[in-house]
Amino acid sequence: MLVFDALLAGALIWLAWQATHTPGLFRSVISFIVFGLLMALAWVRLEAPDIALAEAAIGAGATGALLLSALGRLAVTHEAGTPWQERPDLYFWIPAGAALLGLLTLAAWALPTPGLGDDVRRVLPDSGVANPVTAVLLNIRAFDTLLEIGVLLLATIAIWSLGRMPMPSAPAVRSPALTALGRVLFPMFVLVSAYLLWRGSHAPGGAFPAGAVVGAGGILSILAGAQPWLTGGVRGPWRILLSLGFATMLAVAWGVMALGQPFFAYPPGLAGLIVLVLELAAGLSIAMSLVALYLAGQPPDHWGPEAARR
Amino acid sequence: MIQPESLVVLLVGLPLLGAILTFVYPRAATAVTAACAAGMLGAASGVAYAVMVGGGWSQDLGGWAPPLGIGWQVDGLSASLLLLTAIVGSAGAAHRAVEGLDQPFFWPLWLFLWGALNALFLGADLFNLYVALEVLALAAVALIAMAGGGALPAAWRYLLASLLGSTVYLMGVALLYGRYGALDLGLIAGALEPDLPSALGAGLICLGLLLKAAVFPLHFWLPSAHGRAPTVVSAALSALVVAAAWYLLVRLWFGPFAGLQGPGPDWLFGLIGTGAMLWGGLLALVQRRLKMLIAYSTVSQLGFGLLVIPLAVGAGAESAWRGAVVLVLAHGLAKAGLFLAAGSIARAHGHDRLDALGGMGAGVVLPWLALVLAGASLIGLPPSGGFLGKWWMLQGALAAGGWVWVAAILLGTLLTAVYVFRMLSVVIRPAAPVPPAGGGGLPGALPAFVLALLALGLGLAAPVLEHLLSGDAMTGGPA
Repeated sequence: MLVFDALLAGALIWLAWQATHTPGLFRSVISFIVFGLLMALAWVRLEAPDIALAEAAIGAGATGALLLSALGRLAVTHEAGTPWQERPDLYFWIPAGAALLGLLTLAAWALPTPGLGDDVRRVLPDSGVANPVTAVLLNIRAFDTLLEIGVLLLATIAIWSLGRMPMPSAPAVRSPALTALGRVLFPMFVLVSAYLLWRGSHAPGGAFPAGAVVGAGGILSILAGAQPWLTGGVRGPWRILLSLGFATMLAVAWGVMALGQPFFAYPPGLAGLIVLVLELAAGLSIAMSLVALYLAGQPPDHWGPEAARR
Repeated sequence: MIQPESLVVLLVGLPLLGAILTFVYPRAATAVTAACAAGMLGAASGVAYAVMVGGGWSQDLGGWAPPLGIGWQVDGLSASLLLLTAIVGSAGAAHRAVEGLDQPFFWPLWLFLWGALNALFLGADLFNLYVALEVLALAAVALIAMAGGGALPAAWRYLLASLLGSTVYLMGVALLYGRYGALDLGLIAGALEPDLPSALGAGLICLGLLLKAAVFPLHFWLPSAHGRAPTVVSAALSALVVAAAWYLLVRLWFGPFAGLQGPGPDWLFGLIGTGAMLWGGLLALVQRRLKMLIAYSTVSQLGFGLLVIPLAVGAGAESAWRGAVVLVLAHGLAKAGLFLAAGSIARAHGHDRLDALGGMGAGVVLPWLALVLAGASLIGLPPSGGFLGKWWMLQGALAAGGWVWVAAILLGTLLTAVYVFRMLSVVIRPAAPVPPAGGGGLPGALPAFVLALLALGLGLAAPVLEHLLSGDAMTGGPA
């Protein structure tokens, strides 16, 4: 196993270097995606399956799709960029990075392994769920998660504020296989995501991976030529769905105060139900946000023939 | 009687709720923002009053006590910054509403920025503070980019600098968590030992925050981002966002990292602060555009605030501490007033090139007046808040015998005076014929004028400020 870990660590460093220093953006992006997949493997080795799921779904999957679609929209240049051998600033950054890495290694060596895992397991019965990660994310440190779900909504608004989405939303030439595949696969994506969501209460899973899987399914069906249903206008449910996770968390945080509880303190007995509702709402918004991010701008107010022609 | 704990909840929840509403129903955006602004002005005043009467407090979120849960803390420092945020946020929103630009996404972004600032001023948990910093930076980047054109590369550079700062900060948080198994500021403060993981963690966190605060020599991203952003965004960035990074640095330095204090770090921070004062001041002197001059002035004024680290230890600590906080508050009010006034003037003229601007005349009387008053506070003329802050800082420095820092403060003030006078020399020029379309008229300039008046009048509130900030020793301020 030690050999495997060493190989994995070496491959990660090599891929990181490739992703940042290889000439040619396409190879960089591919290196980045592979990096994400191997990173997920590293998280599995570190016995953090929740992070591995998120890393694979978001780090490699969703981010990879975003990078590739951005690459497709960039004007094609055959400039290779400055090869790293000709960049004098690296004479500063490489020693500085090596020094930091050395210090970090020394410091990490000196770390005890306290962590709060045992404390979390002790209060788990009060949290309403059996999976410690879900308990931390949606109950114990739910305020962190509130702000993080807020980041997703904020990112969508930020991208919409930059302008309308570029058209067309899918590549002009697509393989017929993809169309068929998209049709067959989308229900599978929804099924897997529902399973992940349900699992989240007692095992690795939960809103983030579930939302990422549905979001990835949505992106795939757009790639396969499906009409994106997400509109940028005020009418329709989309703005409400995009804010649903954030709004629900905020409503729960305040709503429990009406029951005489402090801010964000779930009433005992209702915790399990509240966590489930939050997971559903957050998962839906995460999926929506990922599709919205992929569209790279505010979608048109109506998806009519005139919108497609623009 | 409303509990102050629920006022604090309102301060975080209200802007976030407003952000959702203004996104889903953009037609009601100004009304929603106005309601949020009124609520937050009231809540922030209430919190400040509660701290004055009963001292600071801390509260656990969700009924989970640290180390598992997340805590909030309120003391004089955070209460005064929450109030500053409410004032500048409301004034900026009012200015924006009068400008009448058709950019509906401005409002949710503005309210997100506001909510993130409030969460940051309340947070007592290293990781929660990181999340608040992220929300803050993302909202700020999007708001800068709204100006379009030359603001896009500036926003991009700000995004990269800010992400680098966050990453470095997070590395430090990871080290401290690994070392102490806690993220709560109070728990880490109680357990801190000066060993390698702690020193490296604290150093990385400080480095990240210095980058986010655009402290010399890491200020490279600030002037173009602050100078090119839409007017109200420049005001919020210079008055609040930079102050937020300063706040966090000071909060951590005198809280959890107090065990690492010593002559070495004190001198380092002091020299960085002095460098910022001088370099920012010199560059402000040579700028050709009004907004860029004001942006470089932020780099310079932040240097004053950083001197709190060498000064607020030992003799005269309390006076220097109070002085630095008041200086940051006065800078926030004055700088927001300057940017809003400059925006009104630039709109009236169609540009903000210093050599081609006309003087005070029809249509731009109020903005120029605001500029003069805010400039007076920036220099530190009595009875402004700038005067009071510098006075207290100098008292502290003299009590501690820190002659180097006395000289640095005086030199920095001299530079400030020179660049403010350079800006104000435009006032006495003959007025340019102002096109009737621009300017935004009286209502557009009113927020700037109110901010400038507040900056000027802040010095008169010395007894109140002294009372408000004196209790900080118990909740994280210098002992």
